[in-house]
Amino acid sequence: MIEAKNKLGVIFFPAYDWAIDATHPEREERLLYTQDQLREEGIFDIKGINEYKPAIAEPEDIDRTHFCYPDVDSVTTESHLIAAGGAIKAAQLVMDKEVDKAFAIVRPPGHHAMKVVHGNRGFCNVNNEAVMIEFIRETYGHRRIAIVDTDCHHGDGTQNIYWHDPDTLFISLHQDGRTLYPGSGFLNERGGPNAIGRTINIPLPPQTSDDGFLYVIDEVVLPILEDFKPDLIINSAGQDNHYTDPITNMSFSAQGYARLNEKLNPDIAVLEGGYAIQGALPYVNLGIVLAMAGVDYSQVREPDYDPEKIRQSAKVDDYIENLCREIMSQQRRPVEPVGKEGDFFSRTKSVYYDTDGISDEQTEKVMICSSCAGLRVIESRSSIHERCLGIEIPIQACKRCRETGLKILTEAKKAMRYRTIRLINRVDREYRSFSQEELSPRSKYFF
Amino acid sequence: MLLGIDVGGTHTDAVVINQQGLVATAKVVTDHDNLLHSVQEALEKVLQDASPRQIRNINLSTTLTTNAIVEQKLEPVGMFVAAGPGIDPQQYEIGDYFFPCRGSIDHRGVERAPLDDGEIDKNLRTCRDEGIRCYAAVSKFSPRNPLHENIIQQKLQSQADFVTVGHQLSGRLNFPRRIATAYYNSAIRPPFNRFADAIGSSIEKLGLQAPINILKADGGTMPFAISRKVPVQSILSGPAASVMGIVALCDIDDDAVILDIGGTTTDIAVFAAGSPLLQKEGIALGGHATLVQAIITRSIGIGGDSLIQVNQEKLTVGPQRHGPAMAFGGAKPTLIDACNVQGVSMAGNKQASMDGMAKLAKNLGLPLPELAAQVIDLAVSSIMEATRELIQEINNRPVYTVHEMLSGPELTPEKLYVMGGPAAALADTLGKRFSMPATVPHDYAIANAIGAALTRSTMELELFADTEKKTLIIPELDIAEEIPFQYSLDDAVSRGRESLADYLKLHGHQHIDENDIETIEADVFNMINNYFTVGRNIRVSCQLKPGIDRAYRQGLTTP
Repeated sequence: MIEAKNKLGVIFFPAYDWAIDATHPEREERLLYTQDQLREEGIFDIKGINEYKPAIAEPEDIDRTHFCYPDVDSVTTESHLIAAGGAIKAAQLVMDKEVDKAFAIVRPPGHHAMKVVHGNRGFCNVNNEAVMIEFIRETYGHRRIAIVDTDCHHGDGTQNIYWHDPDTLFISLHQDGRTLYPGSGFLNERGGPNAIGRTINIPLPPQTSDDGFLYVIDEVVLPILEDFKPDLIINSAGQDNHYTDPITNMSFSAQGYARLNEKLNPDIAVLEGGYAIQGALPYVNLGIVLAMAGVDYSQVREPDYDPEKIRQSAKVDDYIENLCREIMSQQRRPVEPVGKEGDFFSRTKSVYYDTDGISDEQTEKVMICSSCAGLRVIESRSSIHERCLGIEIPIQACKRCRETGLKILTEAKKAMRYRTIRLINRVDREYRSFSQEELSPRSKYFF
Repeated sequence: MLLGIDVGGTHTDAVVINQQGLVATAKVVTDHDNLLHSVQEALEKVLQDASPRQIRNINLSTTLTTNAIVEQKLEPVGMFVAAGPGIDPQQYEIGDYFFPCRGSIDHRGVERAPLDDGEIDKNLRTCRDEGIRCYAAVSKFSPRNPLHENIIQQKLQSQADFVTVGHQLSGRLNFPRRIATAYYNSAIRPPFNRFADAIGSSIEKLGLQAPINILKADGGTMPFAISRKVPVQSILSGPAASVMGIVALCDIDDDAVILDIGGTTTDIAVFAAGSPLLQKEGIALGGHATLVQAIITRSIGIGGDSLIQVNQEKLTVGPQRHGPAMAFGGAKPTLIDACNVQGVSMAGNKQASMDGMAKLAKNLGLPLPELAAQVIDLAVSSIMEATRELIQEINNRPVYTVHEMLSGPELTPEKLYVMGGPAAALADTLGKRFSMPATVPHDYAIANAIGAALTRSTMELELFADTEKKTLIIPELDIAEEIPFQYSLDDAVSRGRESLADYLKLHGHQHIDENDIETIEADVFNMINNYFTVGRNIRVSCQLKPGIDRAYRQGLTTP
């Protein structure tokens, strides 16, 4: 009997009765062949690898993380709550020390879901990893957490959520945004004024293969992780860098994914994208499971795998080498303060929800603060929901950020300018919504 | 009349049952070195009170194959294993003649690399030179496409007495289990067939003409002729016979818990809507997990002979046993003695129990009745905790659809059935603690043989259809046929059910009721390529589940 070096929990939830629509890539069939492969390999007979049922995320788990307009119910289906719940289950298993590591093979994915949610973008509604991380912090106490996003698409949602958080390191490896959705994730995107250098983007050229990915892990990711000293490492394990993926242009293999995982050594992995459901996912998922469990994966390969055929060019080698050098030198440069302590730093942002065809104009303000992640206030005007306001008093907020946040809430309620106001108050664990109807003086609720 | 024989670890029990109830019973000591003799003896004894001519059916549960595996009395097997990419097949090496081969079939059943004739022929010669006569051929994803297993089987034909091909054992996916199951099947086939030949002729000599069936661990039986092909299905059928006995003795239609409290252990089984629950994958034996389906049972170290001890002022009951109880002349107090003190049972020498327990009570500074109450409470708590865990495990089994996630727990037992020596003594306490009515069936001492006599055939098959490839496969029955592109899930379900019924009829079961065939899985997936539907991937699984011949239940059931 094979024995795993690391006790691994696998949460497998293929949502066999849910699809975005009948012929969408995010469909019922997506994890079917992965399950066939894992079953046929007898993965769950390996001593130390066990399968677990996901939890179902509570609306509060979502409200703690996102500003959903008008509310959680309107922007999620049960399937989203189960996928997020799968990630939560993974976290529980690891935090309660039932397992050493956990892999949530769940769908639908989540890494394009931003702080504000009006609908679906890039196949994602809620951010499974972020919901999980905030669940961990709420339940087990504050933790320094690193997210390494190895999906081929830039993890713009996760980046957006943690943009201002100095205790969350977000590293995204992805196909260069000039050649692929969502068109972001460049070197100059490095985090907000309170968290500069906590967002690291590594845009890779098309046709990057195993050598390139592993080089980036060795030369950039591991040294930065070493520096940050996270309590937990999370892998956003998208599998669309694969050489057969139908909607991307990279040349990564199952062997490469497994080796990457072995090097990265994450505590928790959560599946993201990956739509070569027959030629890639069964082998990549198998490789990741074995690598996480510390079981030999040397014979795991795609039936048509030919390392010579997918080897990256010398040009790509050079490009990546230079890119890594630049990122590391940027990372070593001392951080210049952006503004004055206690001032609001403001930015505007247009977000398009491609699946649902919603556009959203956001104005985000964050308080420049050296004692906490800083009060965050986002005004959002989307094509389906106008005049929304979100106020986030971050976890371990300082007195000033908390009080200012509550003051802004009181004033906003009086001003009657917003149709919906949402509050995330991590200090007092208060996650609330105020709708215009409630705020109206005619309502029996008078604030 | 039906005849059942259960060859157990200690005794071999035989019963004859008609529709009014028990006609004859016999109990003989099992001779492990000559199981055939035990069966013959039990048969002769039970037939003293029943006419052989009136026996309509014979079911036999035997430990022969289990013992052969546990004691490693196995025939050498030439194992030919084609793995393809994945976990290194060398990890699953079993037996002395294990040959991984090139060749690969993927999850859709597409051949991705051919077998290497040269390599196989070379290994064939090695086996022939070693005088190997039993073989097994197993390839990864053979239930999706048995091509490689079939080719290897053909190549072996001339030098083999017997070749097990993996896909015929089960259509379920699990390559390592398929390897172990196929190996065992070939390794125990020669001793099983010798036994079967001998049984066949002695039954004939006794004037019996009824068909013979062999019990399986899933609580059902298989026809004698099939058992010769898949003897591995007869392993570990003992616990299943007892569980099916309870089904016969009690009219179970709901979710229920069954406790069999023996001397050393309590065996726990659970029923869903009157049927025993089966393990998700299959049972393990001799250090290898197999694809042989089995009833879920959980065993804990609490029984009538469980020793009562005080360790660092802490009272414990079991898991050590120290039989017999003082009531039966033992030296140390056990659970039975505690029951005697409580007055819930009147077994053996009650005074001896009182004396032994009193000594312990004095050491602990407890009043005697208080000590006995605590002991019984501890035993009952352990049983409850283990039962709760088992039910929780079953209810926490992963599901794969949103619908199932939201539909709540599948198992909520409301009745308790208790059998075994201390059953009568503990039933009330158990019932109170479980908050369920507790029933102690009559005749539980021979429940195993009754279960053996009354249980019916079981069979499971998997159907896999792929309308893009236009193929349909039922691996267990070696059915492979072409289907049209329009082939639907309904077509597949009908095909699966019919095939199951036809197969059983072919093997002498004329009385298959369509309603007894259960469709346990029926899934269809649209296969999408580039935003277009290119076909449907259909999976159907149906079974004839374990059950008791209803007509014979009447005379036996405990009200």
